[in-house]
Amino acid sequence: MSHKEIIHKYYSKLEKFDSDIKKLENNNELHLILNDPDKLHDFCKFLKQNFDLRLLTIICYDERKLNHGFKIRHVFGSDVDDFFLFVILSIDESHPYFPSIYDVFPSSILYEREINDMFGLTAKENPNIKPLILHDFPNDVFPLRKDFNLSDDVKRNLKQFEFTPITGEGVCEIPVGPIHAGIIEPGHFRFSVLGETVINLETRLGYTHKGIEKLAESMPINDAVFLSERISGDESVANSIAFCQAIEKIAKLTIPQKAEQIRLLFAELERIYNHFGTLGGILTDVGFPYGASRLNILKEQIMQLSERLSGSRILFGVNQIGGVKINITDEMLIDIHFVLDDAFQIFEKIFDLLKSNSSVMDRLRNTGIIEKQIAKDLGLVGISSRCIGIETDTRHTHPYGYYPSINLKQKTPRETMERQVELQKRIGDVLSRFMNRVDDLRQSKDIIDSITALKDDGLSVFMGDELTPYSSGLGYTESHRGETLHWIMIGEHNSIFRYKIRTASFSNWSIIEHAVLNNIVADFPVINKSFDFSYSGNDL
Amino acid sequence: MKKNSDKTNYLIDMSFKSATIKDPLKMNDTVAANYRGYVILDPDKDFVLNNETGKILENSCPTHAITYQNDNNDLKIHLDNGKCILCGNCQVKSPELIKITNKFDLAKKQRNDLIETFSMSVPFGKTYDELGQELKNKIDKIFGRSLAIREIDAGSCNGCEIEINALNNSVYDIERFGITFVASPRHADVLLVTGPASKNMEKALKIAYDSTPNPKIVIAVGACACSGGIFGNNYATTGGIDNIVPVNVYIPGCPPRPQALLYGILMAINKI
Repeated sequence: MSHKEIIHKYYSKLEKFDSDIKKLENNNELHLILNDPDKLHDFCKFLKQNFDLRLLTIICYDERKLNHGFKIRHVFGSDVDDFFLFVILSIDESHPYFPSIYDVFPSSILYEREINDMFGLTAKENPNIKPLILHDFPNDVFPLRKDFNLSDDVKRNLKQFEFTPITGEGVCEIPVGPIHAGIIEPGHFRFSVLGETVINLETRLGYTHKGIEKLAESMPINDAVFLSERISGDESVANSIAFCQAIEKIAKLTIPQKAEQIRLLFAELERIYNHFGTLGGILTDVGFPYGASRLNILKEQIMQLSERLSGSRILFGVNQIGGVKINITDEMLIDIHFVLDDAFQIFEKIFDLLKSNSSVMDRLRNTGIIEKQIAKDLGLVGISSRCIGIETDTRHTHPYGYYPSINLKQKTPRETMERQVELQKRIGDVLSRFMNRVDDLRQSKDIIDSITALKDDGLSVFMGDELTPYSSGLGYTESHRGETLHWIMIGEHNSIFRYKIRTASFSNWSIIEHAVLNNIVADFPVINKSFDFSYSGNDL
Repeated sequence: MKKNSDKTNYLIDMSFKSATIKDPLKMNDTVAANYRGYVILDPDKDFVLNNETGKILENSCPTHAITYQNDNNDLKIHLDNGKCILCGNCQVKSPELIKITNKFDLAKKQRNDLIETFSMSVPFGKTYDELGQELKNKIDKIFGRSLAIREIDAGSCNGCEIEINALNNSVYDIERFGITFVASPRHADVLLVTGPASKNMEKALKIAYDSTPNPKIVIAVGACACSGGIFGNNYATTGGIDNIVPVNVYIPGCPPRPQALLYGILMAINKI
């Protein structure tokens, strides 16, 4: 189906809610303008009843200087069709409230808390409106409002954060973090335990908040690419591709096929080295250092390959608006295939060894189980959702870049059948996520293998004139953690008016609080590692 | 029975030759020729440094690491390695001026030492062999005792963490030099701090510093920790670790590769 037909399919039903709803179409995006914010709740109920849509993010921006007040865009996406729905609300400054939709789409709680922190707009009915990202900020300072300057010094008043009290006979609290025992990022976990068993976990993140979204507004768009790479160091390619795609959509640029191929190669290499690292991490946490060191050697090999290709071990500086900076020659392509063939041969051996090692499998199986309904409600993406059988993969549902042109080998009926049986075993435990990463790795290898020759049509195109002010675009990629969304609104003179980043980590983090319930404290590291969320990508 | 013997064969099969590199500080095959490390004004090329090229160079840097100065026709380029995020933009904009080498030994004990000044009259840089020889003597002398390191992430993008983790893998294997990563600052001699020191981590970093026993050494890792890097000094960051705790050694780079980290740690241990 073409984009037009898909949009028509959805709009013909949406019309029934309100026939004089204003609409705008743009490729695979449908924008609806709701004049009355109070209608939002009914509208969302209507959406939930009629379609299978997932809340992707809630974008807020400050247009008070243009006399439009605040705008809020609820973004919904389908996991079946290549379709995005934007619902636009206008909020007046004099009445800084907007309706919460937490009872229809529970994942909205986090986005509403974020908007409360950064813009000072409160979701009226939201039951949990604690600060999310800003720690110890005064109540009247909202960084993403336009009248707040990036370098303003904020007087902070240190106060105690209120965790939900869990009381009862024999219940203990274990505070962990923000500085952890391993070499990982900072975050605070408050366990309530009864004996060894975790009965409640509350996470408090935001420690790595660096003001990325605000900072981008003061940067020229070409420099902001470097910023997007540093949202999360291990997702640099996925994030910078999403950023570039958003700008390219606004500028209506078509980038060369070769650049698309190179982006794909780097994106898959990134996925491979990260999955090797995560699998190694899981093995470290269950006390199987032999497998962990083997996998870390593989990770190192891919990182050294990355360095030979791009000059950076974690693939910084690959993308630019309009294409890529790094050329891949035929010799380099042979190098990639050679290194990967070698690495995967060893990987399969290690994997066979792991499968037959009962001490590893026993620790992974039935640990950190998540429920399908909770996963759906929280809007999980990536590995975290695939481990319970919810197929979300941006590369399939919203094909971008060179992915639609990839022809993978067709599976025989027997293989498909075996795969179905295998998938039935995925119950959302650590083992399912482990196996899912293995699948992802093999798939990435197949994707890279399918690129045997590179096109010859240049590395990048030049972005011509000034972009239309206040036009916006959505860029999306599948990082190794899952769906990554970057929404950009251009301001005057090619500046960035609003840069909204929603990494997979942000929409996934809350599942950890459910996954550890009824597990023992000692299993928390392996459960956490099996999800492998980025703290920096969450806090921005 | 047969299956079991197959499994043991796997173990035998997997006795690969050692992956550990012999001397990580020596320039060898593990550093790719096109690795973006140390940025210099290219001494091999004829270039004209004038107001125009100077300004282009200055504007090409997203983190303002390059500043151009014209004092009575004494043309100077200041390059702050502590701010450089190794993006390579300056080389793209002025290929005739800038050369990016794969040198990684950039760590310095003073923040100001990271700022290099290139003028038209002074010869550039040191050769790698000179430094390598110097280092070799130090390594033999210093690693007689073990060193305990506590890593603290004060808001990094996790790029530096990947490289610090790589120090522990079998390839770099930092433990063979008697350096261990410990779980608490109370057990540590050295704090390895990354990130632009986000304001939300300020308190935690101070507490960790105070609970580290004396004598203690603080190493700022990465452009962010040295100067704030691309994030600079804004409402959420403090613009460098040294605004919160005293820093002994600065390791620039975005992120610094494992060898560069080792070089910086060596420099720090020299101070004891």
